[in-house]
Amino acid sequence: MKKKSLILFVAIFALLISACSKPAGPEASPSAQSAGESVTQPVQETPAATPKILTIGIVNAPVTLNQINTQGSSASLAPINLLNDALLDVTDEAEFIPKLAESIETTDKQTYRIKLKENARWNDGTPFTTADVAFTLKAALHPKVDTSFQLSFIEGLNDAGKLDEGVTEIAGLNVIDAATFEIKTRSPIDPLVFNERFGVKVNFLPQHILKDVSPEQLATHEYFQRPAVTIGPFKFASYVQGQHVEVTKNENYYLDVPKIDTIFIKVLPAANLVAQLQTGEIGMNSLPVGLVPITDYDKVIGFDNVNVTSAPASEPAELFFNVEKLPDKKVRQAIAHALNRPQIVEKLLKGQAEIIDGGIPSKHPYFNANIKNYDYDPEKSKQLLKEANWDASQKLTFLIPVGNKVREQAADILVQNLEAAGFKIDVQKFDFPTLIDKVEKGEHHITIFTRDYYIEPSLYFTTYKSNDPESVIRYNNPLVDELIQKGEQEIDEAKRHEIYNQLQEVLHEDVPTLAVYSEKRLQVVSKDVLVGKPLNLGTFNNVNQWDLAAK
Amino acid sequence: MGPYLVRRLLIAVPVFWGITVLSFLIMNMAPGNPVDMFINPNVPPEMRELRKELLGLNDPVYVQYFKWLAGVLRGELGYSFSSYAPVTELIGARIGPTLLLASSSLAVGLIIAIPIGILSAVKHNTRLDYLMTGLSFLGTSIPPFFLGLGLIYILGVELKWLPTGGMKTLGGDGGFADIAIHLIMPVLVLGMTIAGKKVRYVRASMLDVLGQDYLRTARSKGLSEWAVTNRHALRNALIPIIAVIGAEIPLLLGGSIIIEQVFQWPGIGQLTMEAILSRDYPTLMGLNLVAASVVLLTNLLIDILYAAVDPRIEFN
Repeated sequence: MKKKSLILFVAIFALLISACSKPAGPEASPSAQSAGESVTQPVQETPAATPKILTIGIVNAPVTLNQINTQGSSASLAPINLLNDALLDVTDEAEFIPKLAESIETTDKQTYRIKLKENARWNDGTPFTTADVAFTLKAALHPKVDTSFQLSFIEGLNDAGKLDEGVTEIAGLNVIDAATFEIKTRSPIDPLVFNERFGVKVNFLPQHILKDVSPEQLATHEYFQRPAVTIGPFKFASYVQGQHVEVTKNENYYLDVPKIDTIFIKVLPAANLVAQLQTGEIGMNSLPVGLVPITDYDKVIGFDNVNVTSAPASEPAELFFNVEKLPDKKVRQAIAHALNRPQIVEKLLKGQAEIIDGGIPSKHPYFNANIKNYDYDPEKSKQLLKEANWDASQKLTFLIPVGNKVREQAADILVQNLEAAGFKIDVQKFDFPTLIDKVEKGEHHITIFTRDYYIEPSLYFTTYKSNDPESVIRYNNPLVDELIQKGEQEIDEAKRHEIYNQLQEVLHEDVPTLAVYSEKRLQVVSKDVLVGKPLNLGTFNNVNQWDLAAK
Repeated sequence: MGPYLVRRLLIAVPVFWGITVLSFLIMNMAPGNPVDMFINPNVPPEMRELRKELLGLNDPVYVQYFKWLAGVLRGELGYSFSSYAPVTELIGARIGPTLLLASSSLAVGLIIAIPIGILSAVKHNTRLDYLMTGLSFLGTSIPPFFLGLGLIYILGVELKWLPTGGMKTLGGDGGFADIAIHLIMPVLVLGMTIAGKKVRYVRASMLDVLGQDYLRTARSKGLSEWAVTNRHALRNALIPIIAVIGAEIPLLLGGSIIIEQVFQWPGIGQLTMEAILSRDYPTLMGLNLVAASVVLLTNLLIDILYAAVDPRIEFN
């Protein structure tokens, strides 16, 4: 019996080990093959250089590769933008550059005529035509299909930006020939809106691959797990969720074929990101989801294998006040004066940030540069509180989302400032879904987060509308409503500037939100990278020109 | 043994069902939902509503549960809310690396713990014993994430001997050697923690056995001390250890969440974290099923093993 027990013990152990080496086996073999190829390639061809491989570090995992449903995940945009070209791309100066579109023209700002590049083709060589455009739009706008497209401005779509049940044709889409089509909008819109929402954010599906898939089955179709046929500078190679996405250059690309052979988007925590930039395992960080914590600035500058630059000030971390609970604007102004933002910028952010009050970043074309910031003035703060008859025993709930370490630390400083100014603060930290749930129930006085970057200015102001019951700020100001509406409808650029300048002034006076700091995000790039760096906006707009030093 | 097995498996069914009901309820009580995750003010409320409808989130919880259960009975775990990948595929891709990490760590932990435990027991109350138990105490008390980060800094960043994370070199061959080199640090960390705990069990169990009469008999037969310790004492001392190891396995699968995060190991732990943070209900339920099965199965296995190695125990 004792011998038996030993045998059993050994047998179980062997079983465990063999069971475990099994899954590693099949995963290991295909990559071993590809490695074999890469070793033999140089021998077969000319004595060419080893493949150029770039690894980009990202902190949040891409959750999907679905080009028509990015789920609002900024992290997913990195691989999606490498795999897919849209009609336009955008530079970090917020200028549009043509990709699949040869031209986009409009005379009345209501009918947009788009001409596609003649040589545009999918990575399998199939020509890209207006049939693909029509197919994509009909598929994405079908009521049973989940999409991130926001095209409710197109004629024939409902307020959710979808076709109504039973409708199969899009009234606002007019296909003229294989390379030309028109989009008609419900009413005239600023070309900026069209260019951003249709030109940049609409990616396309290959009709020749997906034409037989029913709308109900589309989202779960295996194409979206391994999108082999796409139209971008790179094509899909592998995707291990939560780990990495691998893309290889598209030899069939309709523009200049990329110089880099393979790009890995690698997911890892911020601490490891810095470590791997140092070890050279990562070639560059990415923006906005592969942030090198600015608190590591001194450390990163010391690495001798990377170049460190700062991007222009980006979308700020903002305080959002629940106006229902803090109705007196003097109290909100008092809070603004109580915050020692210069200290946050100098001490916490090592000077790599700037202070603005509004949500629009200072480099944005619609930023109102005439607004004077609320300065740090504890005396004035106290005086304002006195004028407002503030009840100092009242406790303010400050909800802070966890995840962004720098923002959490900044919030801690803000809390100290507020307490020093005589406010009682109840700090509560939550993960994002929980925080949003509490915010929607209005359990907060103050919360803090960072909004996305929008090219189209109206998108910065939808949150101030008074009709949104779930709004973070529960703000109600008829003048603001009026200006928002005017801004959305105005199609003359100069007049729009006027409206938005005024709107920013009104909001500045009222302080329903207050930006805290606008970070100059670090761009940490290996010295091996000759061309290419992460940008606030449009990082991959010239990725086919990116290059690495030959090894 | 046959009827015993059948009975145990039959009992497992309602337990299993109870676990799914409870976890489904608790999951739905957690604040937040998959759709409102991204508070993007320019997403119109109509669109959010449509998404909820498409994902079936507007149904009452019990309807959602039975839909899910019906799927499970058909062998389908549904699709992830975020990636729309089949949950079985997601878990399937992660379970291998987790098992690899867990089993290697367990093996390393035991390889360290058993000899040290024996040595400690045989030489009990000597300086060597104090040193060993002291070290094991250290092993249990250093938090694994701290040890992990420390090792990353020393072995990965400063000395550059080992990769700082992941399971394979990106763009590398991804072969056995590559995986092995990535395994070293996480296994070391988990192995140390396991060894720290197990040394004390082995020592105690050995001490217990060493005092037994039959060992005196063995010695009086003229057997060498080596034979007495290894053939007679160790085998009996290891019996209770089996139960302890069994209890460790589910802990290992769940407990490596932190280590998988620290080392970016592409396992179940990492998937679980992502699924929780994005409120990905189908993936979470799939993971719960896997966890429940592992616990129930290892318990069953340990009971059977126990009876097999110890003739004093019978099935009834």
